[in-house]
Amino acid sequence: MPVQSVWMIRLSLASLLVSAVMGGLILTHKAAPLHPAIWGLLPLHYELAIWGWLVQFVMGTAYWMFPRYLKAPGRGSSRMAGLMVALYNAGLVLLLLSSLMGSVKIPLALTGRGLLASAVVLFGGLMWRRVVSYRDR
Amino acid sequence: MPPITRWFIKSGMIWFCLGVVLAFVAELPSVQGRALLLPVYWHMLVIGWITQVIMGVSFWMFPRKKRNRKKEQSALAVGAFYLLNGGLVVRLSTEPFLPLFTESGILSGVVIFSAVLQVSAILLYIGEIWPRVQPKAKRKRSKQGG
Repeated sequence: MPVQSVWMIRLSLASLLVSAVMGGLILTHKAAPLHPAIWGLLPLHYELAIWGWLVQFVMGTAYWMFPRYLKAPGRGSSRMAGLMVALYNAGLVLLLLSSLMGSVKIPLALTGRGLLASAVVLFGGLMWRRVVSYRDR
Repeated sequence: MPPITRWFIKSGMIWFCLGVVLAFVAELPSVQGRALLLPVYWHMLVIGWITQVIMGVSFWMFPRKKRNRKKEQSALAVGAFYLLNGGLVVRLSTEPFLPLFTESGILSGVVIFSAVLQVSAILLYIGEIWPRVQPKAKRKRSKQGG
Protein backbone atom coordinates (compact mmCIF):
# COMPACT_ATOMS: atom_id res chain seq x y z
CA MET A 1 0.00 0.00 0.00
CA PRO A 2 1.54 3.39 -0.95
CA VAL A 3 2.29 5.77 1.89
CA GLN A 4 -0.23 8.35 0.59
CA SER A 5 -3.01 5.74 0.83
CA VAL A 6 -1.83 4.76 4.32
CA TRP A 7 -2.16 8.39 5.39
CA MET A 8 -5.54 8.90 3.77
CA ILE A 9 -7.01 5.66 5.13
CA ARG A 10 -5.66 6.22 8.65
CA LEU A 11 -6.91 9.82 8.70
CA SER A 12 -10.28 8.59 7.46
CA LEU A 13 -10.45 6.00 10.25
CA ALA A 14 -9.60 8.71 12.79
CA SER A 15 -12.34 10.91 11.30
CA LEU A 16 -14.80 8.01 11.53
CA LEU A 17 -14.00 7.55 15.20
CA VAL A 18 -14.30 11.26 16.07
CA SER A 19 -17.50 11.57 14.03
CA ALA A 20 -18.98 8.48 15.72
CA VAL A 21 -18.16 9.81 19.19
CA MET A 22 -19.74 13.17 18.30
CA GLY A 23 -22.78 11.35 16.91
CA GLY A 24 -23.02 9.31 20.10
CA LEU A 25 -22.89 12.50 22.18
CA ILE A 26 -25.58 14.16 20.06
CA LEU A 27 -27.85 11.11 20.31
CA THR A 28 -27.28 10.94 24.07
CA HIS A 29 -28.07 14.65 24.35
CA LYS A 30 -31.28 14.09 22.39
CA ALA A 31 -32.37 11.41 24.88
CA ALA A 32 -31.06 13.05 28.07
CA PRO A 33 -30.02 16.72 27.65
CA LEU A 34 -26.38 17.23 28.65
CA HIS A 35 -25.43 20.73 27.43
CA PRO A 36 -26.99 22.99 24.76
CA ALA A 37 -23.56 23.45 23.09
CA ILE A 38 -23.64 19.80 22.01
CA TRP A 39 -25.97 20.69 19.11
CA GLY A 40 -23.07 22.76 17.78
CA LEU A 41 -21.27 19.48 17.02
CA LEU A 42 -23.86 18.51 14.41
CA PRO A 43 -22.18 20.19 11.36
CA LEU A 44 -18.79 18.77 12.43
CA HIS A 45 -20.38 15.32 12.72
CA TYR A 46 -21.64 15.60 9.09
CA GLU A 47 -18.45 17.04 7.63
CA LEU A 48 -16.26 14.44 9.34
CA ALA A 49 -18.54 11.57 8.30
CA ILE A 50 -18.79 12.61 4.66
CA TRP A 51 -15.47 14.32 3.86
CA GLY A 52 -13.26 12.94 6.62
CA TRP A 53 -14.42 9.32 6.51
CA LEU A 54 -16.34 8.25 3.39
CA VAL A 55 -14.76 10.34 0.63
CA GLN A 56 -11.23 10.18 2.03
CA PHE A 57 -11.38 6.39 2.54
CA VAL A 58 -12.59 5.84 -1.02
CA MET A 59 -9.92 8.17 -2.47
CA GLY A 60 -7.12 6.49 -0.46
CA THR A 61 -8.26 3.00 -1.44
CA ALA A 62 -8.69 3.92 -5.12
CA TYR A 63 -5.20 5.45 -5.24
CA TRP A 64 -3.85 2.16 -3.88
CA MET A 65 -5.94 -0.36 -5.87
CA PHE A 66 -6.52 1.06 -9.34
CA PRO A 67 -4.35 -0.37 -12.16
CA ARG A 68 -0.83 1.03 -12.16
CA TYR A 69 1.07 2.39 -15.16
CA LEU A 70 3.20 -0.17 -16.95
CA LYS A 71 6.25 2.06 -16.48
CA ALA A 72 7.54 3.45 -13.18
CA PRO A 73 6.39 5.39 -11.25
CA GLY A 74 3.40 3.07 -11.23
CA ARG A 75 1.01 5.51 -9.60
CA GLY A 76 2.29 8.70 -11.22
CA SER A 77 3.97 11.54 -9.35
CA SER A 78 4.19 10.65 -5.65
CA ARG A 79 4.86 14.34 -4.83
CA MET A 80 1.54 15.29 -6.40
CA ALA A 81 -0.15 12.52 -4.45
CA GLY A 82 1.44 13.81 -1.24
CA LEU A 83 0.25 17.32 -2.08
CA MET A 84 -3.25 15.94 -2.65
CA VAL A 85 -3.29 14.37 0.84
CA ALA A 86 -1.99 17.59 2.42
CA LEU A 87 -4.45 19.89 0.60
CA TYR A 88 -7.37 17.60 1.32
CA ASN A 89 -6.73 17.41 5.03
CA ALA A 90 -5.82 21.09 5.39
CA GLY A 91 -9.15 21.86 3.69
CA LEU A 92 -10.97 19.50 6.01
CA VAL A 93 -9.43 21.10 9.12
CA LEU A 94 -10.41 24.60 7.92
CA LEU A 95 -13.90 23.39 7.17
CA LEU A 96 -14.21 21.96 10.69
CA LEU A 97 -12.85 25.17 12.21
CA SER A 98 -15.35 27.19 10.19
CA SER A 99 -18.17 25.06 11.60
CA LEU A 100 -16.96 25.83 15.12
CA MET A 101 -16.54 29.60 14.64
CA GLY A 102 -19.11 32.31 14.21
CA SER A 103 -18.27 35.64 12.56
CA VAL A 104 -14.93 34.73 10.92
CA LYS A 105 -16.47 31.63 9.46
CA ILE A 106 -16.89 32.68 5.79
CA PRO A 107 -13.20 33.01 4.70
CA LEU A 108 -12.35 29.78 6.56
CA ALA A 109 -15.17 27.84 4.93
CA LEU A 110 -14.31 29.25 1.50
CA THR A 111 -10.61 28.44 1.86
CA GLY A 112 -11.43 24.99 3.24
CA ARG A 113 -13.80 24.17 0.39
CA GLY A 114 -11.25 25.57 -2.09
CA LEU A 115 -8.48 23.34 -0.74
CA LEU A 116 -10.78 20.32 -0.79
CA ALA A 117 -11.74 21.10 -4.38
CA SER A 118 -8.07 21.45 -5.45
CA ALA A 119 -7.26 18.11 -3.79
CA VAL A 120 -10.14 16.43 -5.61
CA VAL A 121 -9.06 17.93 -8.97
CA LEU A 122 -5.52 16.72 -8.28
CA PHE A 123 -6.94 13.27 -7.46
CA GLY A 124 -8.84 13.26 -10.77
CA GLY A 125 -5.63 14.18 -12.62
CA LEU A 126 -3.66 11.43 -10.88
CA MET A 127 -6.31 8.76 -11.43
CA TRP A 128 -7.67 9.60 -14.88
CA ARG A 129 -5.24 7.51 -16.92
CA ARG A 130 -5.30 4.70 -14.37
CA VAL A 131 -8.96 4.02 -15.16
CA VAL A 132 -7.95 1.45 -17.73
CA SER A 133 -8.00 -2.24 -18.56
CA TYR A 134 -4.73 -3.53 -20.00
CA ARG A 135 -6.32 -6.85 -20.94
CA ASP A 136 -8.51 -5.27 -23.67
CA ARG A 137 -5.58 -3.65 -25.45
CA MET B 1 -15.08 -13.44 -0.37
CA PRO B 2 -14.86 -14.32 3.38
CA PRO B 3 -18.11 -14.99 5.30
CA ILE B 4 -17.80 -11.81 7.39
CA THR B 5 -17.69 -9.74 4.18
CA ARG B 6 -20.85 -11.45 2.94
CA TRP B 7 -22.60 -10.67 6.24
CA PHE B 8 -21.61 -7.00 6.05
CA ILE B 9 -22.58 -6.58 2.39
CA LYS B 10 -25.89 -8.41 2.68
CA SER B 11 -26.96 -6.56 5.80
CA GLY B 12 -25.80 -3.35 4.09
CA MET B 13 -28.15 -4.13 1.22
CA ILE B 14 -31.01 -4.78 3.65
CA TRP B 15 -30.39 -1.42 5.40
CA PHE B 16 -30.30 0.29 2.01
CA CYS B 17 -33.74 -1.09 1.09
CA LEU B 18 -35.18 -0.32 4.53
CA GLY B 19 -33.71 3.20 4.47
CA VAL B 20 -35.30 4.00 1.14
CA VAL B 21 -38.66 2.59 2.30
CA LEU B 22 -38.44 4.66 5.49
CA ALA B 23 -37.65 7.79 3.47
CA PHE B 24 -40.87 7.11 1.56
CA VAL B 25 -42.86 6.54 4.78
CA ALA B 26 -41.48 9.80 6.23
CA GLU B 27 -43.07 11.68 3.34
CA LEU B 28 -46.57 10.33 4.03
CA PRO B 29 -48.85 13.16 5.21
CA SER B 30 -50.02 11.14 8.24
CA VAL B 31 -46.43 10.63 9.42
CA GLN B 32 -44.80 13.97 8.51
CA GLY B 33 -43.70 15.88 11.59
CA ARG B 34 -45.00 13.28 14.07
CA ALA B 35 -41.91 11.14 14.41
CA LEU B 36 -38.19 11.83 14.24
CA LEU B 37 -37.47 9.84 11.07
CA LEU B 38 -34.94 12.03 9.24
CA PRO B 39 -31.88 11.17 11.39
CA VAL B 40 -32.91 7.51 11.45
CA TYR B 41 -33.01 7.04 7.71
CA TRP B 42 -29.86 9.09 7.18
CA HIS B 43 -28.04 6.73 9.54
CA MET B 44 -29.63 3.70 7.88
CA LEU B 45 -28.13 4.86 4.58
CA VAL B 46 -24.78 6.28 5.69
CA ILE B 47 -23.93 3.77 8.45
CA GLY B 48 -26.19 0.81 7.66
CA TRP B 49 -25.47 0.78 3.96
CA ILE B 50 -22.40 2.76 2.78
CA THR B 51 -20.19 2.37 5.85
CA GLN B 52 -21.14 -1.26 6.31
CA VAL B 53 -20.33 -2.16 2.69
CA ILE B 54 -16.98 -0.33 3.02
CA MET B 55 -16.24 -2.28 6.21
CA GLY B 56 -17.11 -5.62 4.61
CA VAL B 57 -15.04 -4.99 1.51
CA SER B 58 -12.05 -3.74 3.54
CA PHE B 59 -12.03 -6.94 5.66
CA TRP B 60 -11.80 -8.81 2.36
CA MET B 61 -9.35 -6.63 0.41
CA PHE B 62 -6.95 -5.21 2.98
CA PRO B 63 -3.81 -7.28 3.52
CA ARG B 64 -3.91 -9.49 6.61
CA LYS B 65 -1.15 -9.16 9.17
CA LYS B 66 -0.47 -12.88 9.22
CA ARG B 67 -1.08 -15.15 6.27
CA ASN B 68 -2.06 -18.15 8.39
CA ARG B 69 -5.00 -16.13 9.75
CA LYS B 70 -6.54 -16.00 6.28
CA LYS B 71 -9.30 -18.47 7.01
CA GLU B 72 -9.93 -17.38 10.58
CA GLN B 73 -12.89 -15.19 11.40
CA SER B 74 -11.63 -12.18 13.37
CA ALA B 75 -13.45 -11.71 16.70
CA LEU B 76 -13.16 -7.93 16.29
CA ALA B 77 -14.84 -8.03 12.88
CA VAL B 78 -17.64 -10.31 14.12
CA GLY B 79 -18.11 -8.08 17.17
CA ALA B 80 -18.24 -4.98 14.95
CA PHE B 81 -20.93 -6.63 12.82
CA TYR B 82 -23.20 -7.51 15.74
CA LEU B 83 -22.70 -4.23 17.61
CA LEU B 84 -23.24 -2.07 14.53
CA ASN B 85 -26.38 -3.85 13.40
CA GLY B 86 -27.69 -4.30 16.94
CA GLY B 87 -27.08 -0.60 17.60
CA LEU B 88 -28.91 0.41 14.44
CA VAL B 89 -31.89 -1.85 15.20
CA VAL B 90 -32.17 -0.49 18.75
CA ARG B 91 -31.83 3.08 17.47
CA LEU B 92 -34.40 2.58 14.73
CA SER B 93 -36.93 1.18 17.16
CA THR B 94 -36.51 3.90 19.80
CA GLU B 95 -35.21 7.24 18.47
CA PRO B 96 -38.31 8.13 16.37
CA PHE B 97 -40.46 7.88 19.51
CA LEU B 98 -38.40 10.29 21.64
CA PRO B 99 -40.61 13.33 20.85
CA LEU B 100 -43.73 11.31 21.71
CA PHE B 101 -42.54 10.07 25.12
CA THR B 102 -40.40 12.92 26.40
CA GLU B 103 -40.59 11.83 30.05
CA SER B 104 -39.70 8.16 29.53
CA GLY B 105 -36.44 7.36 31.29
CA ILE B 106 -36.41 3.81 29.91
CA LEU B 107 -36.71 5.02 26.31
CA SER B 108 -33.89 7.53 26.86
CA GLY B 109 -31.74 4.81 28.41
CA VAL B 110 -32.28 2.49 25.44
CA VAL B 111 -31.43 5.29 22.97
CA ILE B 112 -28.19 5.98 24.86
CA PHE B 113 -27.47 2.24 24.84
CA SER B 114 -27.83 2.24 21.04
CA ALA B 115 -25.27 5.06 20.84
CA VAL B 116 -22.84 3.02 22.96
CA LEU B 117 -23.33 -0.03 20.71
CA GLN B 118 -22.64 1.95 17.54
CA VAL B 119 -19.53 3.72 18.88
CA SER B 120 -18.20 0.38 20.19
CA ALA B 121 -18.72 -1.18 16.75
CA ILE B 122 -16.62 1.59 15.18
CA LEU B 123 -13.89 1.03 17.78
CA LEU B 124 -13.79 -2.72 17.03
CA TYR B 125 -13.68 -2.07 13.28
CA ILE B 126 -10.77 0.36 13.66
CA GLY B 127 -9.02 -2.10 16.01
CA GLU B 128 -9.19 -4.78 13.31
CA ILE B 129 -8.36 -2.68 10.25
CA TRP B 130 -5.75 -0.19 11.58
CA PRO B 131 -2.85 -2.71 11.79
CA ARG B 132 -3.65 -3.85 8.26
CA VAL B 133 -3.11 -0.34 6.86
CA GLN B 134 0.63 -0.01 6.45
CA PRO B 135 3.19 0.60 3.69
CA LYS B 136 4.29 -2.45 1.72
CA ALA B 137 7.92 -2.23 2.90
CA LYS B 138 6.90 -2.17 6.56
CA ARG B 139 4.51 -5.07 6.03
CA LYS B 140 7.29 -7.13 4.43
CA ARG B 141 9.62 -6.36 7.35
CA SER B 142 6.99 -7.33 9.94
CA LYS B 143 6.31 -10.61 8.09
CA GLN B 144 10.00 -11.45 7.96
CA GLY B 145 10.25 -10.70 11.66
CA GLY B 146 7.60 -13.38 12.29
